[in-house]
Amino acid sequence: MSMKSLTLRIAVTASAVALAWPADDALAQGAAKAKAPALATLAPPSAPVDNPTTPAKVELGKLLFWDGRLSGNGAMGCVACHRPDLGWGTGTPISFGYPGTQHWRNSQTILNSAYYNKLFWEGSVTSLEAQAPAAAEGAVAGNGDTALMEMRLRLVPEYRKAFKEIFGTEWPNINDAWKAIAAYQRTIVSDPKKVPFDRYLAGDKSALSDSAKKGLALFEGKAGCISCHNGALVSDQKFYNTGVPAAPEWQKDELYQITFRWEVYQKGVDEKVYRTAADDHGLYYRTLDPKDIGKFRTPSLRELKYTAPFMHNGVLATLKDVVEFYDKGGGPTQTAGLKPLKLSDGEKADLVAFLESLSMTEPLLVADPKLPPSEPLK
Amino acid sequence: MALPKLRSNRAHRASCTTRLLASALALLPLTSASVIAQTAAAPVKPPAVAGVDMAKFAPLPAAAKVNEARVKLGHHLFFDNRLAGDTSNACATCHDPAKGWGDGKPLSDSYTSLLYFRNAPSLLNVANRKYLMWDGRLEGADLGTAVRDMLTEAHTMNIDTRLAQERLKQAPDYMAMFEAAFGKGDPYGGKIYGAIAEYMKTIRTTNAPFDKFLSGDASALNAQQIEGLKVFAGKANCVACHSGATLSDGKLHVTGVPDNPDVNADADRQVTMLRHFATMGTPAYMNLRQDVGHYVVSKDKKDLGRFATPSLWDVGQTAPYMHSGMLKSLEEVVAFYDKGGGDAPAKSPLLKPLGLSGEEKAALVAFLGALTGDKPAVAKPALPKDAPRTHGTN
Repeated sequence: MSMKSLTLRIAVTASAVALAWPADDALAQGAAKAKAPALATLAPPSAPVDNPTTPAKVELGKLLFWDGRLSGNGAMGCVACHRPDLGWGTGTPISFGYPGTQHWRNSQTILNSAYYNKLFWEGSVTSLEAQAPAAAEGAVAGNGDTALMEMRLRLVPEYRKAFKEIFGTEWPNINDAWKAIAAYQRTIVSDPKKVPFDRYLAGDKSALSDSAKKGLALFEGKAGCISCHNGALVSDQKFYNTGVPAAPEWQKDELYQITFRWEVYQKGVDEKVYRTAADDHGLYYRTLDPKDIGKFRTPSLRELKYTAPFMHNGVLATLKDVVEFYDKGGGPTQTAGLKPLKLSDGEKADLVAFLESLSMTEPLLVADPKLPPSEPLK
Repeated sequence: MALPKLRSNRAHRASCTTRLLASALALLPLTSASVIAQTAAAPVKPPAVAGVDMAKFAPLPAAAKVNEARVKLGHHLFFDNRLAGDTSNACATCHDPAKGWGDGKPLSDSYTSLLYFRNAPSLLNVANRKYLMWDGRLEGADLGTAVRDMLTEAHTMNIDTRLAQERLKQAPDYMAMFEAAFGKGDPYGGKIYGAIAEYMKTIRTTNAPFDKFLSGDASALNAQQIEGLKVFAGKANCVACHSGATLSDGKLHVTGVPDNPDVNADADRQVTMLRHFATMGTPAYMNLRQDVGHYVVSKDKKDLGRFATPSLWDVGQTAPYMHSGMLKSLEEVVAFYDKGGGDAPAKSPLLKPLGLSGEEKAALVAFLGALTGDKPAVAKPALPKDAPRTHGTN
């Protein structure tokens, strides 16, 4: 293990310890506020020591984020499933996949992805730098071949120039492309000045409506949301099974069924698990611990005004649906210790009003950049 | 054959893949053994031709024994776009029976958004090759691995074989065909490669006049073709490399065939060449602008531009010619060798200007025509349809 990755691991472990409350399956909702890290405004994201953010790198990363050359068919760049005008996702319950396939999970927003210590719904990678290639290469996502994607970049004169200036290499290196994309993603974050709740925290008591203020009290009290959705990110970055129902698409749609089985197969599970799999096992694929079946990472609640539908499989269409889901104590298979909340209709509306105050008043939109052309080498 | 036990540790995936491959290869030894035996068998004595050592020729090797259920399955798979990552192409896209089992283009198309840097070689008599691929990077006996490469390579079909497996599993008729071919179990990569390889063994030249001639039918060649045979075996000395039952010496030669200028004129084509060189670990691959041929295998400079000798059976169906598709017709091929081949530092000493007359050239082309058999009567089969499965019984 290199010193760098060792340092990273220590850092990750340390932050996991800091966030290690509450215990998995014993959410004490009444006492939640007292024990959970307080809601707070996000500080600007930090970058890893081996990938400092620079304006030139961000500019390159933006182009690469849009560039279909970083995929198998030349058309499935990051932006294909993370569109700014769709909350940096796809707006569909389950992401459409690579042509000829279907994906099997909801395309997560990349808004504020800079703050997570693990990426993907099951937390399978620990950095944005590692997330980008996993998506670009996955057979139902980008289906790109590393050597081909790298060679495509090398045939773009503007990229050769930029990579040389930024990374000092004669030819673009694919790993540097992922670094540039990660640097760009660290700029796709909430602007606290535009987030009502952050303005409220900064002292502008008029930034929240009365309804939203009541919702905040419920969030931190009766509804106990803060047990898991806490801290500046409004996520404890831990994994829970809240009993979200299986995607209905898997029951009879051939394309979805193909991808479902492929995903389970390629995760590397025991044959018996593959044979009988009927739902996404989430964290289990990473740990192979039966206790982790159906657990997914707590998502941030920031910017969710723009990121419907919700949950790992997009099965809940609106924030109201999400509140109803938790009001019932989650789904029947949950192991997170959720209890029915018995919220009144007014309280549910207040909670939704508060949740919406965690989003910027206007979406973060970015226009398509003009991509540099390829040219054959002389 | 049962599904290889799925492993719980990701680190074992690589070994799993290796075992799948081993299963694919296990399907093949029968072929290579039978080919050798059939090649060695002495057929009927060919008619004598003045000045021609007929011992240098032999009729086509007999057809390999095949498993018919696997051939049937392979025939379907060969035409099925399910085996491409984005379902946009199939083996038959670039190996079209109506185009001599190639694609009829100088340089082949490629996977979506790319263009390939070499000619798609014909699959006729592919079971009887010493090498596969123009640069000879695969063993001829190893059809299964060639199939695997074409399915999984980014510039051909770009599929994750595990996804192909699940696609096929969605079609009940495929499951029945797999069961008939291999017994119960999942349609994993080794079976897919093996079935297509089995089908490829059936792609053969049929009714070529010269094959009939070699089998004893003296009337199969006309007078001009006999003259062409004499030139082929004599003054032009084509037989130095194109001999035996496959009309190939099974070796690699530098003949100086020019590269196709389209490769370095189009980024989408150049990228497939350079990426191929990169993945083969070719020295200083970013600086290469020529098709280096077998050099990617040997890394020996004498192999720069060295390519496998193709069989000449059915050569009348497989235009255009050479690794670069630069020679459009058999007349151009004959003219190329008449000049002593092209320019290359390590060009074969076998090539010298031939000084052929117009009549000799025409006779040679006529003889090459006699190596050509029937147009294949192969149609795209009706492909199995997907059907929903009971979710949770995988």
